Amino acid sequence: MLRLENVSKDWREFKLRNISFEVKRGEYFILLGHSGAGKTLLLELIAGIHRPDSGKIYLEGEDITERPPEKRSIAYMPQNYALFPHLSVYDNIAYGLKLRKFKRDEIREIVNELSEVLGISHLLHRNPKTLSGGEQQRVALARALAIKPKLLLLDEPFSNLDMATRFRLIEEMKKWHKELGFTAIHVTHSFDEAMALGDRIGVMVNGKVEQVGKCEEVFSEPKSVEIAEFLGYNVLRGSIKDGTLHLNGLKLKADSKFEGDVTVVIKPEDVLLSKDGGFKAVVEGVEFLKFLAVVTLNVNGLKIKAQTTAEEVLRKGIGVGSKVNVSIRNLRLMV
Amino acid sequence: MRRRDYVDIFFIIFGSFLLLYIVLPILTLLVRQCFDLETLISTLKDEVVLNALRNTFLTAGITTLIALALGVPLGYVLARMEFRYKSLIQGIVDVPIVIPHSVVGIMLLTTFSNAILDSYLGIVMAMLFVSASFTINSARDGFLAVDKKLEEVARTLGAGKFKAFLTVSLPLALPSILSGAIMTFARAVSEVGAILIVAYYPKTAQILVLEYFENFGLKYSKPISVILIVLSLTTFAILRWLLKRSDRYAET
Repeated sequence: MLRLENVSKDWREFKLRNISFEVKRGEYFILLGHSGAGKTLLLELIAGIHRPDSGKIYLEGEDITERPPEKRSIAYMPQNYALFPHLSVYDNIAYGLKLRKFKRDEIREIVNELSEVLGISHLLHRNPKTLSGGEQQRVALARALAIKPKLLLLDEPFSNLDMATRFRLIEEMKKWHKELGFTAIHVTHSFDEAMALGDRIGVMVNGKVEQVGKCEEVFSEPKSVEIAEFLGYNVLRGSIKDGTLHLNGLKLKADSKFEGDVTVVIKPEDVLLSKDGGFKAVVEGVEFLKFLAVVTLNVNGLKIKAQTTAEEVLRKGIGVGSKVNVSIRNLRLMV
Repeated sequence: MRRRDYVDIFFIIFGSFLLLYIVLPILTLLVRQCFDLETLISTLKDEVVLNALRNTFLTAGITTLIALALGVPLGYVLARMEFRYKSLIQGIVDVPIVIPHSVVGIMLLTTFSNAILDSYLGIVMAMLFVSASFTINSARDGFLAVDKKLEEVARTLGAGKFKAFLTVSLPLALPSILSGAIMTFARAVSEVGAILIVAYYPKTAQILVLEYFENFGLKYSKPISVILIVLSLTTFAILRWLLKRSDRYAET
C-alpha cells in the first residue's frame, strides 16, 4: 500500500539514510525510535511536506515522490495536533470536506458520524483552544479521518497527555482502528505504545529503519547491536574458545562451534538475582518502573542490567552497594 | 511590601508626566476653540477646507489599500522564507522610518519628477513611502505567530498552497495586519514634509493648516487643526475599537 525505496534526506540536524519499508492496507504500523531519530522528518516526507533528496515513495503502486501534499490523500496529525484556532471544532473536522466541495448535508452527516464514534459530539460548537489534551487529540483524529485518507500519519499522538488519559486513549485507538479500518503509521519512542497498538513495528536507529517485523520478533531477535542497545538489552563484547564464552573474566557455556570474538546480547529479564547464582555482583543502581525494577550490576567490572519485580527488590532490601549472586538464563551471540 | 508600593507610586508619577505632555496640547487646543465656536462653524462650511479634508482622507485610504495589497505578500515572504540577504531586505523595509520626510519628498521628486508633481498620485506616493513599513512589519509579525504546522496540515487535508494561505494563515494573521494598516492610515494622514515638496496641490488638510499659519497666523490655522485632530482621533479610535472587538470574537 505504501512503499518507501531507499529514501534519504538531510535536513537541519536530521539525516535519513536509505530507508525502505512497506506498510500494508489496514495495518497499524509503528515506527519506534529515540527522540531526534528523524521520525517526524520521515512522516513529513511521506506527507509531502518535504521532498526526499533521493529514493522513491509509492502509494498504491503509484510514484508519489514529487506529488504535493494536497494531492496525496495522506492525512497527517502532528504532535501538537495543530487544530485551527480560528475555527470551531465542527469547522475543523469539516475543513477537508469543504475543500472537496461536499454538500452541507453530507458534511454534517460525516462530521456527526465520526464525532459519535470518537465521543466528541458534545464538543462540536467549542473553540479548540478550550479543549483538554485528550479532546484535542480526538478532534485532530476526526479532522484527519473525515477526508477518508488512504493513509493516516500520527506523530507521537499520545505524548502530550497525562498518564491516565494516555492509557485510556491507547485502548480507544485500538478500538477505533478496528471500527474505522484505517491504515496508519504511528511514530513514537514508547515501547508500550508499540506493543499495545503495533500490528508490525519498524525500529529507527541512526537515521535508518533497521528492522521491520512483528513486535515479538523484533523484541526477541534484534537484528543488530544497535537495535539491541536501543531496546535496552545488555550488549557485551567477548570471545569463544573451545565452547566456552569468555566475558571479561567470566566463563559461560556457549552453544556454538564458533571460535573468536563475538558480541553477546543478554536481555535484562534473563539476568536472575538468586542465591545459587554463579557470579558475584555489586549493585550500582536501582530504577523502578511501576511494578518492575531494573537493577544495574557490576559483575567483575562488567555493567549488566537485570530486570526483576519491584517487590523482590524491596523484600530483599537490595540497594546501591548490596552484594548479590547472579545467574544468566539465556543469551544471544551475534557474530 | 510597603517599599515596593512606594516604588510603584514613584514610577506612576514619573510616567504620568509624558502622558500629560501628550494630552495637554490636544486638550488646550480643543478647549480654546470652544470659546470661539463661530469661526469653527464657518470653517466647517468653507468649501476649501472641506475639499482639503476630503483629499487627505481619500489619499490616506488609497495609500492604506495599496500598502495592504503589496505589503501583505512581502510580510509573508519575510515571515516564511529563508534566503540570503534577508536581514538586508528587512533593513530596507525600515529605512523610510529613519529618513527625514522633507528628504523623502526631494528623493521622490528627483526620481519621478513631473509624473507625480502636484497630483493625487504624488500625494499617495509620498504617503506610501513613509507609511508602508507599518503594514509590512505587522503582517510579517502576524504570519510569524502562525504555527507552520497549521499550514502543513491544511495542505495534507487537500488545500493548495494559496488556499491554505487564504483559509488558515491570513485569517489568523488578520488582526495583526489590520492594526498595521491602521498605523499606516494614521501615519499617512499625518504626513506633511514629503507632500509639501511633492504635491502642494491638490491641497490636503495638513498642508492647508501650514498655509493658513504662514499667511494669516496662528489664530486662523487653529479651527482647521481642531477639525483635523477630531477626525483623526475619531477614525483611529473607531478602527482600534473594531479591531479589538473582532480580536475578542476570535478568542472565544
